[in-house]
Amino acid sequence: MPIIETRELRKVFRSIKRTPGALGALRTLFSREVVERVAVEGVTMSLDAGELVGYIGPNGAGKSTTIKMMTGILTPTSGEIRVAGIVPHQDRRRNARNIGVVFGQRSQLYWDLPLVESFELLRAIYNVPRDRYRANLAEFTEILDMGEFMTTPVRQLSLGQRMRGDFAAAMMHDPRIVFLDEPTIGLDVLAKEAIRTFVARINEERGTTFILTTHDLADVERLCRRIVLIDEGKIIYDGTVEAIVDQYGTHRTLVVTLGDAEPEFSLDGVEIESHEGPVVRIRFDRKEIKADVLIRLVTERYAVSDISIEEPDLESIIRRIYVEGYEAP
Amino acid sequence: MTFGQVLEPYVEFARKAFAREATYRVEVFTNLGSLVLRVYLLRQLWVALYGQNATPAAIPLHAMLTYATVALLMSLVLEIDGTRAIREKVREGTIATDLMKPIVLPFYFFSDGVGQTLFHALLIVPAICLSLFLVHIDVPGPATLAVFAISFLAGYAVNFCLNFLMNVVAFWTLETFAVQLMIRWASDLLGGQIIPLAFFPGVLGTIVERLPFASIYSTPLRIYIGDLPPAQWPAAIAVQFGWLALFALFGAIVWRAAQTRVVSQGG
Repeated sequence: MPIIETRELRKVFRSIKRTPGALGALRTLFSREVVERVAVEGVTMSLDAGELVGYIGPNGAGKSTTIKMMTGILTPTSGEIRVAGIVPHQDRRRNARNIGVVFGQRSQLYWDLPLVESFELLRAIYNVPRDRYRANLAEFTEILDMGEFMTTPVRQLSLGQRMRGDFAAAMMHDPRIVFLDEPTIGLDVLAKEAIRTFVARINEERGTTFILTTHDLADVERLCRRIVLIDEGKIIYDGTVEAIVDQYGTHRTLVVTLGDAEPEFSLDGVEIESHEGPVVRIRFDRKEIKADVLIRLVTERYAVSDISIEEPDLESIIRRIYVEGYEAP
Repeated sequence: MTFGQVLEPYVEFARKAFAREATYRVEVFTNLGSLVLRVYLLRQLWVALYGQNATPAAIPLHAMLTYATVALLMSLVLEIDGTRAIREKVREGTIATDLMKPIVLPFYFFSDGVGQTLFHALLIVPAICLSLFLVHIDVPGPATLAVFAISFLAGYAVNFCLNFLMNVVAFWTLETFAVQLMIRWASDLLGGQIIPLAFFPGVLGTIVERLPFASIYSTPLRIYIGDLPPAQWPAAIAVQFGWLALFALFGAIVWRAAQTRVVSQGG
């Protein structure tokens, strides 16, 4: 049975149209011209317990709106939604016990208090039994390496430390589902890696379901088997990461570093992307020419000091889909 | 869920607020110094005023000095406003994260305020001792003190509801400073914190006695100085609880509307 289910979920925001200027402000008082903006348009998806799903799309695609409906702080305009059997907006407080949230841009820690006191407060908020709390605290402190700043007031923490604190805070009550909204934004590579390791481990050991919203596709590549792509409020792709890479990633790049004596380079039937110094980048479609054939062609004619193949990364694929739209295979 | 579990978060909120207040230690001592000075100046002011005019409104000088001093000490607790956080949370958008927690937010603001209040109540103990020594305020019998305490708590709750209502306005306007200034001024002057309501002339006096603000300062203070005879105590406290019920109901309605606003507009 799926842990999250939505059917034809739709959210329309209504606002009153404002005319600029003083006269305009006066007109706004009397005429109520309502402007509608569709944020989510018929989203149907189903997540199983223990899944780790990347929910991605450009800014304003409707990601946050969907997440807010799942947490119960937004009421859908129409459609159905169930999170662990609960309709979130009808039973927000009960739903809150099942979910955890991490916002990269917004901390849920208490600014003036030492980190550990925020955790204690959360223990009380969710009525976590004390021994369970102590076990979680010990485990999270170890994985996230929070020992040395546990008693530091949150306002004095670095962004990386604060985010680690926020992750621990979101997990303290053993939520079944965790929503991660841009969790690695602004972090350095080490902090990013620490957090990715933490998520992967919690997902594996506890079977926690994660929905990850991010613009950093390295997060998705590292963590998610499945991605849901949303654009203009509609789901345009829902499937595995491999399938989309397979479909779009037929082009590869052969990077050849020539020996010093070879300033000129030309080869029939392939596209030379760039040729800077000794490095030549050759783009090829693996359906048209096999990599080993191409490599043989190059090495037969030129002295080569180094050669490598670049696989298409998720980021370049997603970028292409944003620009060109998705086409089903 | 047991009653203890329901209560657990709110007790913890109060404890954390108490601890948070305690971190500003320097402020504590400067406040104490200025407080003693204010108590003394207030005494001199009323002594001088009474020198001009013998016993206005049948309140003798010693009762007036008691009134003014107790009113000042009460204001230290009543001016703490746990609901100010609503305004900040709405403006910064953090209210959305709070709504994702299994708590009733108005109770959170109340318990946070109580935690702050308890800390400041502890602080005014030395001020009370000094006032007793410096200004010689009257101390009524235990029965009067007990009734005063009940009346004071009722006034505290009325004051919380007023502050709550005024800060919830932030959900619509984002800024509430002007409204807040007005209400604070009204509750200080019309509530009897600055002067006893008996000093208001004629029909104005009758009106202010009937306003809800009287529940905050005037009623407990009149019980304290003995201006209100014991026979009228039950009725006076009933009026306080009447206002409390009305404001609490109104607060619940406005809070519902505010939440609906968040859930339809997305915070």
